[in-house]
Amino acid sequence: MALYVIMRLLGIVAILAVMSVLVFAITQVMPGNVANVLAGQFADEATVRAIEHRLGLDAPAHVQYWRWAAGILSGNFGQSIVMERPVGPLVWEAFLSSALLASIAFVMVAVFGIVLGVVAAIRQNRFTDHAVSVFSYVGVSVPEFFWAIVGIIVFARYLDWLPSGGAGNLSQGFWAWASHLVLPVLTLTFTLIAHVSRLTRSSMIETLRSNYVRNARAKGLPEGVIIRRHALRNALLPTITVLAIDVGWLLGNIVVVEAVFSYPGIGRLLLFAIERHDLPLIQAGILLIAAVYCLANLIADLLYAYFNPKIRYGQIES
Amino acid sequence: MRKHFYGALGAAALGFAALTAPAMAQGTLRVAIPSNLNTLDAAKTKLGEEYIMNFLIFSGLVEVDGKGGVKPDLAESWTKSEDLKTWTFKLRPGVKFHNGRELEAEDVKATIARVMDKATGSTARVNFDIVESIETPDKGTVVFKLKIPYSGFAELFGDRQVRILPRDKFDTIASEPIGTGPFKFKAFRPGDRVELVKNPDYYIKGEPKLDAVTFRIMPESAAQVAALETGELDLVWSLPLETLDQFKKNPDVVIDSTPTSTWDGLIMNSAHKPFDDPRVRKAIAMALDKPALVEVALYGQGTPTHTMIPPSHPYYNKDIPIAAPDIEGAKKLLAEAGYPNGFEATLYLPNGRPTRERLGIAAKELLAPLGIKIELQRVPWDKFVKEIEGKAAFYTDGFYSRPTIDTSIYPWFHSAGSWNTQLWNYKNPAIDRVLDDARAAKTEDERAALYKKFQALAEEVPAGAIPYVQNHVNAFRKNVKGFSSSPMMWLDLRETTVQ
Repeated sequence: MALYVIMRLLGIVAILAVMSVLVFAITQVMPGNVANVLAGQFADEATVRAIEHRLGLDAPAHVQYWRWAAGILSGNFGQSIVMERPVGPLVWEAFLSSALLASIAFVMVAVFGIVLGVVAAIRQNRFTDHAVSVFSYVGVSVPEFFWAIVGIIVFARYLDWLPSGGAGNLSQGFWAWASHLVLPVLTLTFTLIAHVSRLTRSSMIETLRSNYVRNARAKGLPEGVIIRRHALRNALLPTITVLAIDVGWLLGNIVVVEAVFSYPGIGRLLLFAIERHDLPLIQAGILLIAAVYCLANLIADLLYAYFNPKIRYGQIES
Repeated sequence: MRKHFYGALGAAALGFAALTAPAMAQGTLRVAIPSNLNTLDAAKTKLGEEYIMNFLIFSGLVEVDGKGGVKPDLAESWTKSEDLKTWTFKLRPGVKFHNGRELEAEDVKATIARVMDKATGSTARVNFDIVESIETPDKGTVVFKLKIPYSGFAELFGDRQVRILPRDKFDTIASEPIGTGPFKFKAFRPGDRVELVKNPDYYIKGEPKLDAVTFRIMPESAAQVAALETGELDLVWSLPLETLDQFKKNPDVVIDSTPTSTWDGLIMNSAHKPFDDPRVRKAIAMALDKPALVEVALYGQGTPTHTMIPPSHPYYNKDIPIAAPDIEGAKKLLAEAGYPNGFEATLYLPNGRPTRERLGIAAKELLAPLGIKIELQRVPWDKFVKEIEGKAAFYTDGFYSRPTIDTSIYPWFHSAGSWNTQLWNYKNPAIDRVLDDARAAKTEDERAALYKKFQALAEEVPAGAIPYVQNHVNAFRKNVKGFSSSPMMWLDLRETTVQ
């Protein structure tokens, strides 16, 4: 088991290294560079060259890449070229803000998705089931920016219950802080919950029809025990896979949600960096997101093994 | 299980209802701006949002007065030599930077030398190409020697990038700006907010009146509208024109609109056929219905004009009428130029610049009667700057207000102008002469006459079509007093209060 985890972690490091080369290559072929951005709309060639020289952008690409990579290896993520401040704290602070949003949303998606799925499966083809279906289809088929703006218009503008965006500060009190998270989290949750609830529903229905559940019922076990102790554990296996994939979705959706709710997270920072070709900022942001995604997959695989005794990593005997 | 779930939902809903906005601090103005800032280093700024900070945190040698002239700011007075080549500025004594150090002539010299350095990449650099040397005979005096006579030199110091910075803090100015302006920098959380607090040592006693200003970075206009309506914000800077209607019926919100010299244009590149023929350019300019373009592109928030000199400017040439579209005349000119049945052209539009996109769409319709078949193509901003501007034959573009008349015109219309060759490659010896003469004009009347002549010449042989100048629109709540929108599109908050 420990060996397996170590191997996987080494794999993640390799993936990140490849990612860093890819991102660097993409920024090299994008039209324009950060010197063009800094020099502005109508700068002459000489100005652009002077800025490129000051920033060391006139060096060959592999030298530039090596300078940057060597910095990372020594724990220095460099300086944002446009903002002229260290990348490390900039990205980290934005990442923590996003992580807060994403993890609350993820827990909501997991909990409500599974609960709704299970409820729908038990009440199959009855009103609750149909209600859950409609709810989740509407959620998945309408894009998140629509719900975000509906949320702002209804809850911020007309009802005036919640702030229209921004990030709160704990020093203003818990509710003032938490209230800023409600709309973004609900938007993220609503658009992702369908995946989880649909999948849980079908796999639960399948499990409830299986022979061992029939045996359990025949044995006279109460229905609640059958569902919680026997059916759910097996029915959740595919859900775990989907939840891991949803981490990727969540990270994509969060870019849009942060923009609409003016939330200062990693998605908006990355968008800002890409628009301005700020390479150190782009690299650090993307590597961080890639790392999160890789780790989420690793955790999903480990959970899978935990729930399904048929899979046990790192054991030779079968 | 089901019961618990619904119960939890209900509790959550009640919880949301109980939330209220945090209590507001007295004397703090809360402003929404749409974009994140790149830098707080005045010399390197390029965005409207950054210019706001420039004027709140820093000061210049002079200040634009909103009537086409300038008044003293850090320079108490200035004199020019007879030949307009030596300019001497006397600094206001006792002005302190936010860190307590006194402003000295060396700071002015170092600031301008830095702007003139190509590696700084300041867009104001081209304006200071005319400077030969900078001398500081004493702590309170700066002398500029120029290569050419230049009547508008003092006005250059009202520009946005030419804020005076402390010479010992250049390397940290981008993230921790220190200036002499009415507000001190407190914090910048990228993507979230900029916080400024009152500078108690500001050289004008009793100003600023506010204790603090908080800028919230809010890209989504629906969020801005909601926050202003509910009082979460006090002011929305540069309101998106398409949201104007939503406030018309709200008695708590004031819409403040002011004319500027920010312009959009239909750029016809003289380096390409058929636009090398001035008759073709003239025909296109004649066919455009300028008031209609103001309605379509700006929702009525603008004014038809001849060139970038706005009708609100004292140098505007009132003798030239804003002509109604003349389709027949335009057709005749096109026929003379050899295009009796019009031609086909691709018009490039910069993506994400809504007024210029709408201008292009309207132009397509307005030029159809001439037989000109336009294919519209939207281009991402990056690509637009690198591959379209100055290179494509036909596109829409636009420029922000400049503080001085010479820097508003010369770069675009003079054949040696820095932006001309990267925009429309326009060459008109008569205009070159007028613009050069205006630079060396000794009196105000002489200068005004020359710029009026420039407008007549540009109307006769157009470089492109400049149909309008835009209004700058701010929305604020009734409790904001002592504020008016500036034609420069920055925020003067020195007299502003929140009640």
